[in-house]
Amino acid sequence: MNTENIKTAWRRLKNNKFYTAVNVLGLAVSLAAAMLIILWVQDERSFDKFHHDHERIYKVSSHLVGDGTKNVWLGSPSPVANLARENTNVEIASRITYDGNATLRNDSTHLKVSNMRILHADEEFFSLFNFPLRSGQVNTLFQQPKNAFLTQSTAIKLYGDENVIGEIFHFDDEQFTVVGIIEDFPQNSSIKANVILPLSYYAQRFTEYGGNGNWKTIDEDLGNYGFYTYMKLSPTASSSDVTNFVNSAFLKARNGAHFVDFSLDRLEDLHLISADGNKSALHVVQVFSIIAILLLAIGAINYVNLSTARSMESAKGIGIRKVIGASKKQLFFLFSTETVVIFFTAILLAVALVFLCVPAYNEISGKSLSFALGNMQVWLFISTAIVVTLLLAAIYPALQLSSFHAISALKGQLGNHFSNQTLRKALVVFQFSISITLIISTLIIGKQLQYIREINLGYDREHVFTVPLPYEAVQHIDAIHQELASVSAIQSTSLSEFYNLMDYGNATGDIEWSGKPASSNIIVARARIDEKFIPLMGLEFVEGNNLSGLPADSAAFVVNEELVKQMGLQAPYVGTEMSLHNIPGKIIGVLKNFNFKSLKEEVSPIVLWTHAYSSTLYVKTSANKTEEAIAAVAKVYEKYPSDYVFKYNFLDSQFDDLYKSDNRTGLLFNIFSGIAIFISVLGLFALTTYAAQIRIKEIGIRKVLGADVLGIVHLLSKDFILLVLIAITIACPVAWYLMNEWLSSFSYRTSISISLFVSGGVIAVLLAYVTIGLRAMQAALANPVNSLRDE
Amino acid sequence: MIKITNLQKFYRTEEVETVALNDLNIHVQEGEFVAVMGPSGCGKSTLLNIIGLLDDLDEGSYVFNNVEVAKFNERKRSDLRKHNIGFVFQSFNLIDELTVFENVELPLIYTNVPAAERKKRVEEVLEKVQIMHRRNHFPQQLSGGQQQRVAVARAVVNNPKLILADEPTGNLDSSNGNEVMNLLTELNEAGTTIVMVTHSEHDAKFSDRVIRMLDGQVIMETTTV
Repeated sequence: MNTENIKTAWRRLKNNKFYTAVNVLGLAVSLAAAMLIILWVQDERSFDKFHHDHERIYKVSSHLVGDGTKNVWLGSPSPVANLARENTNVEIASRITYDGNATLRNDSTHLKVSNMRILHADEEFFSLFNFPLRSGQVNTLFQQPKNAFLTQSTAIKLYGDENVIGEIFHFDDEQFTVVGIIEDFPQNSSIKANVILPLSYYAQRFTEYGGNGNWKTIDEDLGNYGFYTYMKLSPTASSSDVTNFVNSAFLKARNGAHFVDFSLDRLEDLHLISADGNKSALHVVQVFSIIAILLLAIGAINYVNLSTARSMESAKGIGIRKVIGASKKQLFFLFSTETVVIFFTAILLAVALVFLCVPAYNEISGKSLSFALGNMQVWLFISTAIVVTLLLAAIYPALQLSSFHAISALKGQLGNHFSNQTLRKALVVFQFSISITLIISTLIIGKQLQYIREINLGYDREHVFTVPLPYEAVQHIDAIHQELASVSAIQSTSLSEFYNLMDYGNATGDIEWSGKPASSNIIVARARIDEKFIPLMGLEFVEGNNLSGLPADSAAFVVNEELVKQMGLQAPYVGTEMSLHNIPGKIIGVLKNFNFKSLKEEVSPIVLWTHAYSSTLYVKTSANKTEEAIAAVAKVYEKYPSDYVFKYNFLDSQFDDLYKSDNRTGLLFNIFSGIAIFISVLGLFALTTYAAQIRIKEIGIRKVLGADVLGIVHLLSKDFILLVLIAITIACPVAWYLMNEWLSSFSYRTSISISLFVSGGVIAVLLAYVTIGLRAMQAALANPVNSLRDE
Repeated sequence: MIKITNLQKFYRTEEVETVALNDLNIHVQEGEFVAVMGPSGCGKSTLLNIIGLLDDLDEGSYVFNNVEVAKFNERKRSDLRKHNIGFVFQSFNLIDELTVFENVELPLIYTNVPAAERKKRVEEVLEKVQIMHRRNHFPQQLSGGQQQRVAVARAVVNNPKLILADEPTGNLDSSNGNEVMNLLTELNEAGTTIVMVTHSEHDAKFSDRVIRMLDGQVIMETTTV
């Protein structure tokens, strides 16, 4: 590449501003979109990979042994870590547990910070994981049960400063001393918290509160699956050997009672493949990677099509150069230079676009991505893409252009370039197949997301908000109900254990009834409610009645249809005796199934009962009165001072939170499909422009002979429209297959109807027709004398 | 300098074979100025292309400077062409993206002449064709006569032994046409051999010898001097 070539290329590009703009813009947009996707994919793939030896770190999950029902818990009992340490292949084992929703209080300013996540870590935690300290020493944390580490941002929130070693804060009615500050947990860490306390504090509290049944210390408690156990295996260890070891040790500890099988999953894999084997997150990453490649392909195709289409214009120049004595090599470099100049400009523009779009992109994707110019992976991907594009886009036309016959070239003849045309058509079909697949997929994803939004969950979630009450308030719940009943903006209130009605995970296997088969191991969700809950939420009975609010409720169970089905009961169900956690009672009512878990799961069995303590206040208000209702509840809340701050949460927003990642995926998909379609249409626009240009004389002659505008538009568009139609027939089955796969991750899914494919096709044809029509119209309206005189 | 014997050239399409040049014999001496005339389609331009090694012959012999070149491959032809032959076309065939100076410089680049030497020679030849004042203009900014003068400058900048001109005045008015013919005559007087295809009897008078063709054959040769 010499300066002569660059100069010539630059002038050629300048003289053909329209095509240059289409090429550069198409390439830049596709490169930028691909780079953004790669950043996202990179981030998704980077989870938990920042620890030393991350490939040897495993997490224990518990697979409950049930009859055919798959139930995976992410936690494991606390002694599992101790059992694992017996195995010589386990280098380090660590267990942690969390307290969510904690409120911290600054000892001197009394400032409260709520929504804090407390991590109780054992002494191995910092040798297993790399969470760097900003100040303090790891071992000081474990010297006293009431020592604490804060993350940098938590320290700033609570004290306004990070130099706070020795400061005191209150949590859980106890006083803690800050002995260290750690860096905020990385966004791509599955372990996240605001505060780290030594596990000894948790253990001490557990024992003080009486333990769990006969188990009085956390090292004995084989029944609480609320711990997370991690271990690093030796480089030569087989994870299945260790798994077997842990399983048999646990079986022995439980005296042969087989409730659970543990699995060891590589921690770095768990972000994309969940412990129950669900790979939908991985699939999303794969789909986005493919979209990145397709976007690059679409951008490259525009380039190839335009350069081969315009090769005729280059023909004269090549002919002259050949006559004067240019060698094939010299011509090849001349035309490659043009490509290099275009790509270089496109890359610069793409990088600028990426920097420009990253903030908005983070907003949409819910990540905190940043693009560094030194991000080698991105460049590796981009340069691979460019090399492939160059092979396709530059070398093909350049070779073709430099090898044809000088005389024909001088006459503007390229001979029979059948293959050239065929290639171009095939590429347009490919490009539009991708775009149409994306259009149809976008429609189906949109329909599914709407379906979920509008699905009948089995209750009315509108105008209902929840408020977690502290113990101090729950003690006076009757007074609270009474006071709120007098507020006109509030229709009804109820106290229940459903901290989140849409994603409720509190479940047990501890259910008995007469005639229960020995093989049965039903896992049943359980939630305490009061008699006002079912009417407030509008749950429907298929049989029996609601709780009464009288003492008799303590022996009453309300269950759902799924439970009686799994129990194998025959109607009438009411009156059936059963017990939960050895508390006996009777079924008094059977509810129609309702969704208390993500719609990605089928409805599972649930028991509602009144026994003992629950703490989430449900408030039903009505449209336009929500603020008044919230204010009234807040006022009552403040009457019972505690360490907690008032918080409310509408069921609608809980619902949106639950599908946030699906909605984000849907939105990203829309955006990238839009970009793909934009680039394809841009290419089609340029190709039509070109077609109109080379057929300008033909159009002139036809007009002189009497053709009308519509006829000319039809003449120019029919070839392209045919290509789009072929693309539709290719895209439909592909989209159908892909979307079927995606939908299969939902238990509740919309149907894929023919009308969506028809709409997708119609959109594509319309887009193509408008694009082509605009250009064709221009050509058709031109004065034929001008085009004929041109010769 | 040029000795073509029993030249046959066919054009084939899928269905028909057309004879473009039929058993043609031509000799051109070094330093001669030869005009080739004849009606459209008689094969003049094909002949010129074959002489210029832009096209190959199907049968016969072509000796250029005592070397048989009929069977030369593309690389050898290109080599021979760029060092020995300059071309002037009816439609000028300048490269739109290059300035006057760069257009004329191009053959020197392809023959690897050093930059300083290139500049000197291009300026010399631009002076000669009196277009130096327009050296930084692009072809579209010039009149037809000026463009053809640039084309002639480009054809001679490498000091070729032979100039092939295909209707060099065809797109020019008579005064511009005469200017170009005078330029060619000057070159010929300086020793360059010229073969020119033309429709114009007026232009043909500038040559030493006129070869008349019909249907791919030479039918008459006349000396004009």
